Amino acid sequence: MTTKTQKTVWLIVMILMVAVVIAPIFVMFKYSISDRSSVVTGGQVIPLWPYNPTLEQFESLLAMDSFLAATISSLQVALLSVAISLVIGTPAAFALVRYRFPGVMVLATLLISIRLFPNIVAVVPVAEVFLKLNLVNSVIGVAMAHSLLSIPYVVFIAMGVFETIPKDLEEQAQILGASKFYSFTRIILPVALPGLAAGAIYVFLLSWDEFIFSYFLLAFGDLSTLPVLLKKILSWTPQHNLLAAISVMLSIPVIIFTFVVQKYMQAGATAGAVK
Amino acid sequence: MVIKPMDTAYVSNSASNAAMAFIRKNLFGIVILAPAALYLIGFLLIILYKVLELSFTFDGPDGTLFPTAIHFIELSKRSEFREAFTRTLWFTLIGTPLELFVGMVAAFLISKEFKGRGLIRSLFVLPLAIPTIVTAITLYIVFDFPGGHVNDLLMGHHAFFPFQIISYPVDWRGSEFFALIVSIFGKVWRDMPISMLIILAGLQAIPEDQYEAAKTLGAGAFQTFLKITLPLLTPAMSTVLVLRSIEVWKEFIFPFILAGSYPLLATLIERAYHEWRNPNEACAISLVLLGLIIFSTVFIFKTLKWLRHRLVRI
Repeated sequence: MTTKTQKTVWLIVMILMVAVVIAPIFVMFKYSISDRSSVVTGGQVIPLWPYNPTLEQFESLLAMDSFLAATISSLQVALLSVAISLVIGTPAAFALVRYRFPGVMVLATLLISIRLFPNIVAVVPVAEVFLKLNLVNSVIGVAMAHSLLSIPYVVFIAMGVFETIPKDLEEQAQILGASKFYSFTRIILPVALPGLAAGAIYVFLLSWDEFIFSYFLLAFGDLSTLPVLLKKILSWTPQHNLLAAISVMLSIPVIIFTFVVQKYMQAGATAGAVK
Repeated sequence: MVIKPMDTAYVSNSASNAAMAFIRKNLFGIVILAPAALYLIGFLLIILYKVLELSFTFDGPDGTLFPTAIHFIELSKRSEFREAFTRTLWFTLIGTPLELFVGMVAAFLISKEFKGRGLIRSLFVLPLAIPTIVTAITLYIVFDFPGGHVNDLLMGHHAFFPFQIISYPVDWRGSEFFALIVSIFGKVWRDMPISMLIILAGLQAIPEDQYEAAKTLGAGAFQTFLKITLPLLTPAMSTVLVLRSIEVWKEFIFPFILAGSYPLLATLIERAYHEWRNPNEACAISLVLLGLIIFSTVFIFKTLKWLRHRLVRI
């Protein structure tokens, strides 16, 4: 194979790959700004760009009660699971990093590897238990289930953050008379904050996207998170542009956080580590 | 001999003293570790207990039977379960190698320096940033019947692709074969960045002097790939295969949205729970799936280890 044919093959594969990666995302945005005539074409070819691009789908979403309610529930669930997983996970990560008693590494591995347990296997037992505890169809129930998924991540991320903070810092505080609790909350946590914020965003996105647990806990109730709302709407065979508009609203925070904030957060985490 | 009881008393006393000292020394650590450990391990135990309890209990008219394999026997008689089982096998057998292959193609595309590499790399990570349910819904729209984009494209309706591959629109979600293919497409599309990043890390770990040595000895591009890149990449490829196979076995969202009439084991769990109203059978299916995942992971692990021994001789 000559270098020239190699380059041609590379270019063709690259173009194909880029097209396949972009196509679904482009179609989603295209549908979300499509007017009715570009979606319901009566057997005609669906245009690659809408005849009359419009934002009316988004306007109608803002007037749609079920969408607004689902957005609010999604936010509540996500923020609550951020709170639960940070409050429970961060101290545990600190203990796992600083206290080297026997079995601590086994415990750390166990806590993190719980994530490997398949969601779809865990979901029926969780739904059954929550049904008895009256946690089905409630924000708290869904947030508790999501925390189950996110605490291992928080422990993992926070362990990485605490490992970069030198031990001298808290030892000095303790020599000066600070209690362990005081030095953890007032000295260590502020230094770890940028790294922990990355963890918090990660947990928020995990909960915002999560479908399986949310669906099993909310399938038959009035309450919906945005992913569950999408699935519930799908059974009324709605217009595709409405589906796409909700999809865009659901994706935007994730895309923004993944690309814009993550870079800043990584910089923040390392800056925090150097003191 | 007389001091023996005193001796043991002294020993046990010192042991409890040591335990007390240990607890006192690590009290803060234990206290702040306890909530997470209790929450996660507690939930795990409850889940395991519930799965086992539900799948081996039968509440009949004559009272409760435990343990009983009746749900597994009932399931094995259901054609839905047997079909789902076969579909899941095919889904995994096709999906896992495909995940590895696409990940490798993407990684090789961006492994060498070129203009705009950073941009392409960010672009290739984009599928991870789209919520899975959104990807599934988008594919639901794109593969619509009769008037979806893919049908339009394959029928040659667009100027940039004037080849008529099919003469009638395909009912993608209404055919078992195509519904599963579309689900696999979605799964592979969504997971491509993960496989790509692992393979890319593996590629970058291969020392440059290996390639230079091969070049000096007169190896061509193909030979270099076969004799250097591929063997040295096997650890990364193994990681992708093991991790991805677990993910493909338990895939739920894509088949749930795109192949609703043709359930896999994971989507059959949902059907058993919501449509059949039978949590016991749902848990029995879960156990079968869990068994399959564990078996296949161990199998892939052992096979890869054996393969690596045969392939890489240093």
